[in-house]
Amino acid sequence: MKVTINRWNAVSTWHWDHAQEELCGICRVAFEGTCPTCKYPGDDCPLIIGECKHAFHMHCLLKWLTTESSKGLCPMCRRKFKTATD
Amino acid sequence: MSRSRRIAKEMQDAQADPQSGIRLEMVSESDISHLKGYFEGPPGTPYEGGHYQVDIEIPSDYPFKPPRMKFDTKVYHPNISSQTGAICLDILKDTWSPVLTLKASLISLQSLLTSPEPSNPQDAEVAKHYMADRRGFDNTARYWAKVYAGADGGASATATTPAKTPDVFELYGIDRDSVKAFESMGFDQQRIVEVMRRIGIKKVGADGVEDRILEELLK
Repeated sequence: MKVTINRWNAVSTWHWDHAQEELCGICRVAFEGTCPTCKYPGDDCPLIIGECKHAFHMHCLLKWLTTESSKGLCPMCRRKFKTATD
Repeated sequence: MSRSRRIAKEMQDAQADPQSGIRLEMVSESDISHLKGYFEGPPGTPYEGGHYQVDIEIPSDYPFKPPRMKFDTKVYHPNISSQTGAICLDILKDTWSPVLTLKASLISLQSLLTSPEPSNPQDAEVAKHYMADRRGFDNTARYWAKVYAGADGGASATATTPAKTPDVFELYGIDRDSVKAFESMGFDQQRIVEVMRRIGIKKVGADGVEDRILEELLK
């Protein structure tokens, strides 16, 4: 039997390489979605992961860290938030 | 609008979890920044059986700023104003975190009822009562739960006035016999209760207290 492929559609999915939680604790939107100010998910709205291993949409966390009440702490564990280096 | 999306999500989540005993409702369909929260008084406390209503105002920079909460139902508790319902709770002030939710805040209020912090009071008079006479405090708190929060089938959660005329002695935790003693001197009961409340005395017994009340009554 000989099959001739006339047309094909490729479909793929993606997710961030971070499996601990699914939602950003700040905006409660999926990590694979966007923070409330972005339109397109992915590289435009990346995640940030702390040394404490807690992850957020980067934009959400930066907004929190600019508030005075944050005192620079991770919203989850209240340790000083430092971006993980690797 | 990040805020309204998150609030809508939180309301959905609370609805999907009736086991938590926490209920959230909008005051008006058109305003997502003003909600009412409801929960039951925790068992094993003077508030057991009471239905509590909390007024929730959500600031425009929520969840980066905490929601503003106060009790609509009158509560007799060291960290809650017996007059205004204002609440003294750290997570609603300087230890707020944006990962906290309305549900989590209401659960914290519920546990505040279980564990008062009289050393950091919102209502100094109530805190004094709590520290000086724990049994008397429990009785008054239980009585308030009955008349204002509907424990034992009393008033409804929305009542700001009691279902029946409350007993002033029970309501303010003031000793009945102490008031009777002044009444027999010819003073008006209402006036005696008013004076004792004002100077923060629940019972006559300690030296000088009787004179102080008399002095006030004779003014």
